Amino acid sequence: MYRIRLHGRGGQGIKTASQILGTAAFYSGYQAQDFPLYGAERRGAPIVAFTRISEKPVLERGPISSPDIILVGDETLLDDPQAAPLCGADESTAVFINSTLETSVLQQQLHLSSSLLKLNLTELCIQHLNKGTVLSTALAAAGARLVGMITLEALLKAVDAELSQQGIGSIQENLNLTKEIFQNLFPVVLKPRKEKTISPSEIILMEQANIEEAAPIILSPGNMILRKTGNWRVQRPEIDYEHCNHCLICYARCPDGAISLGPDDKPEIDYDHCKGCLICAQECPGHFINTVREAGVES
Amino acid sequence: MTALAGKYKKLKDLHPEEAITPGTGLCAGCGGLDGLRLALKELGENVLICNAAGCFTLLSVYPFTPLKGSWLYTTMGAPVPAAQGVRDALDIRLQHRELPDKEDLLVMTVAGDGSSNDIGLGATSAALHRNLDFIYFCYDNEAYGNTGFQLSAASPYGSATQTAPNTEFHPAGTEFFKKDLFEIWKAQKPTYIATVSPREPIDLSNKFAKAKTMSGSRMFICMSPCPTGWGFDPKESDLIAKLAVDTGMFPIKEYFEGQVTHTKRPQRRLPVEKFLQRQKRFRHLFEPECRHDIIENIQSHVDEYWSHYE
Amino acid sequence: MKTDNKIMLTGNKAAAWGARMAQVEYVPAFPITPQTEIVETLAQWFADGTLQGKFTNMDSEHSMFMAAGAAAATGVRVFTASSSQGILHGMESLYTITGWRVPLVLVNVSRALATPITLEPDHNDVMSTRDCGLIQLHAETCQEIFDFILIGHKIAENPQVCLPVLVNMDGFYLSFTREPVLIPDKKTILKFLPLFEPVYPVFQASQPMARASAVFGGSTYSYFKMQHNLAAHHAEKVFNDATAEFSELFGRTYEPAEKFHMDDADFVFVMSNSFATKGKAAVLKLRQQGIKAGLLKIRLFRPFPVAFIAQALCGHERVAVIDQNLAPGMGGITYPEIVSSLYPYENRPKKIVSVIGGLGGKDITESDFMSIIDHMKNSDSKTPLYLFDQEDQRAFQRIQKIANVKKEVSSS
Repeated sequence: MYRIRLHGRGGQGIKTASQILGTAAFYSGYQAQDFPLYGAERRGAPIVAFTRISEKPVLERGPISSPDIILVGDETLLDDPQAAPLCGADESTAVFINSTLETSVLQQQLHLSSSLLKLNLTELCIQHLNKGTVLSTALAAAGARLVGMITLEALLKAVDAELSQQGIGSIQENLNLTKEIFQNLFPVVLKPRKEKTISPSEIILMEQANIEEAAPIILSPGNMILRKTGNWRVQRPEIDYEHCNHCLICYARCPDGAISLGPDDKPEIDYDHCKGCLICAQECPGHFINTVREAGVES
Repeated sequence: MTALAGKYKKLKDLHPEEAITPGTGLCAGCGGLDGLRLALKELGENVLICNAAGCFTLLSVYPFTPLKGSWLYTTMGAPVPAAQGVRDALDIRLQHRELPDKEDLLVMTVAGDGSSNDIGLGATSAALHRNLDFIYFCYDNEAYGNTGFQLSAASPYGSATQTAPNTEFHPAGTEFFKKDLFEIWKAQKPTYIATVSPREPIDLSNKFAKAKTMSGSRMFICMSPCPTGWGFDPKESDLIAKLAVDTGMFPIKEYFEGQVTHTKRPQRRLPVEKFLQRQKRFRHLFEPECRHDIIENIQSHVDEYWSHYE
Repeated sequence: MKTDNKIMLTGNKAAAWGARMAQVEYVPAFPITPQTEIVETLAQWFADGTLQGKFTNMDSEHSMFMAAGAAAATGVRVFTASSSQGILHGMESLYTITGWRVPLVLVNVSRALATPITLEPDHNDVMSTRDCGLIQLHAETCQEIFDFILIGHKIAENPQVCLPVLVNMDGFYLSFTREPVLIPDKKTILKFLPLFEPVYPVFQASQPMARASAVFGGSTYSYFKMQHNLAAHHAEKVFNDATAEFSELFGRTYEPAEKFHMDDADFVFVMSNSFATKGKAAVLKLRQQGIKAGLLKIRLFRPFPVAFIAQALCGHERVAVIDQNLAPGMGGITYPEIVSSLYPYENRPKKIVSVIGGLGGKDITESDFMSIIDHMKNSDSKTPLYLFDQEDQRAFQRIQKIANVKKEVSSS
């Protein structure tokens, strides 16, 4: 069985990618299963989806903790401790990263025991689809090629089926994109994984706690600040302080309150929390807030 | 003529403190969140929010809360009865159990348009009947957003939702006009009602500042542009909010002592297309062919509204 | 009216008196037959100043339970009452507020559930709340109703419980039935149940907190649910402590279940609520006829006093669990709970049968109890005994004839 885990952000088509993979495997005559993990997160937030492909019936459910293949659509997630896309990767895992960097550079940064592959999918998406933000077809094509057992014919059929079902246009462009990625990658050979013997969990006897701990009660007001949402950002707003006239419009418009006022009402962006909606840049009357691609996302 | 004079004239006047921290899991560019943030700047920290199931339920996910004040998640249909219980209990303790006045809380309900217009409306009407002393904040993104954008009674005519898709047989998508919650509430003559927009922070803050000094039921509908459900780039959230006002589709007004006053009147109303065409939920009105008939229905509905006030 | 004396009270009035003597501060209310008399009485007492606090007329049970829970979370002593359809309508709120872990007492006046809609009692309404995490006390007499409300507040407000307590009584058979009830003096009651001082954080400006926030991840959810379970189990000890103190102060002793002529009983009826009185009468009569019958009346239904029940029933030959409720496609709802309590014990009864009767207020007659004895004796009684006899059949057919008169005309 191939256990494939896909990582990206809400809005990048990660769930659709897992479905194209599942359908392509199904069309190739295999047993398949795919599902997304929905959390309390939204567009821009880290997303994970799963596809299982097998010759025998799939006797598994739920998230994959020991993946055979990891597909990382958005490399800005690599150093995100919450998304932790490389979690569970070992020497029997192949990790594919949509990246502008060379494999050797990535390997140096990541120190993985897994085999590492890369391709600049964003660039290919821009070439074929005129936009680099939706990776559903590209990531699915990469995954399908890496597992090796999926035929190009089945994959093209799956892309057509899934995109048509979602009412997405530009099918032909997506099919061309699929073909190109299929040609650019090769199946990986994975080290066989050692089957672990079953040992019992360490069940504990829960003790009764005081009511403050026993019920869902939060006694630390405002502790949401501990949660960083800066990693949602694909583009960052940067204030041009030379021209900024402290009109405060950006401060009023930021839904997350991630722009605070410093001395002399100087607006300051809290990059730990700014989600990158870019309302501030859009609304700045003098256009004194610039938009900069986050490192690693550049095409 | 405004019912009450505004306290604030410019953005510099806004209350400097934030009562809600960043870090929440709400979508980037959520218009409703900016509305709530500005409201809480004004209302302060001694607030308890009784929340109904909806997008904003994700404001507080254990073990985190963004609020400096208090939060009670309830159900989709009963955030207002919870507000009633809290208000009653505080009154009992103030009156009979020697609770110092400084321990009192401003009780607030935060609910989406689905809860407000549909499942929770009966209980809200009952609270208005009792003149419950509270502030109601409805973030109106015109559909059940948290479940993936299905039709609510606040979904506008002509918009596509997941449960009112546009098809050959239903070219408009949503075939009913949006419920007029403002007028429904008004029929019960609460202390104060206002519509607000995050794009109009001064107007919004003035309204909450006024409401804070009053007692009884104080009701707010906050226009909440929703990039995810409405289908636009998050950065355009405030542009969409502005167009909603400029086209006259979302009147900014208040009700006080029997009078309705428009506090931000569009100078010359723009055609509704200006608002519609930037959103995916209305795309079928323009592509593959322009549905002039449906757009005209929307326009005449807006014109009809303003004919009473212009 | 003298208060340290016996007075004639209906079950509903006894409930209102229980709330009054517990000095409840907040009652959110909504009328429903056969409960209405409780909230009417309390409305009067709040209105005329007998009780201090607030009585709020709510718009539904869904709203009422929510207001009750929210007020408890804000630190006042709360009481409310409902019945039947009202319990079902408020079910979402009941699950919600029990999860909040807040103390309050609510009375359910049992009434059968629609469809068909009716007014008379059975226990499907209270059984519907079986799994929502409430503590449940079931009353047989008007005195028990009164006492259980005081005991209920004591259990609910215990810092290691912090859960709503439901006191159950049968509609009509208790709610509208007057019998003498002893109301102890206020001073002694205050010793048992002092004025409410919450031992958990309550909403007020100096205590900002978030309650009942969403959780994600099964471990967090499981933790809180299992804590809820531990608190509910702990309530059995708290019940025993509270009733021991109650017995000392007031002289009435309440075990989790009452054993009536159990010592030498070969045939045991397991019952609850007001029909247990009928069961007791049958036990006495059967004993005159030489049948060694006994009865176990369950008072504490949640937490389910498994060990107590096992100890009470083990060693007896034959047991009949009489359920005044019905889970269609399964049978009696409490039967499996009794059976599972006994299963681990070697000296468990040889025969445990299920009996379903008293639905929608249908009487359980002396003869029915004799039929139950026969059912216990019958070696082939693998299926439940449904109490519906020839006379019931004839009575119903007479009525049905009228309902179906049109059909007869057209077919003739």
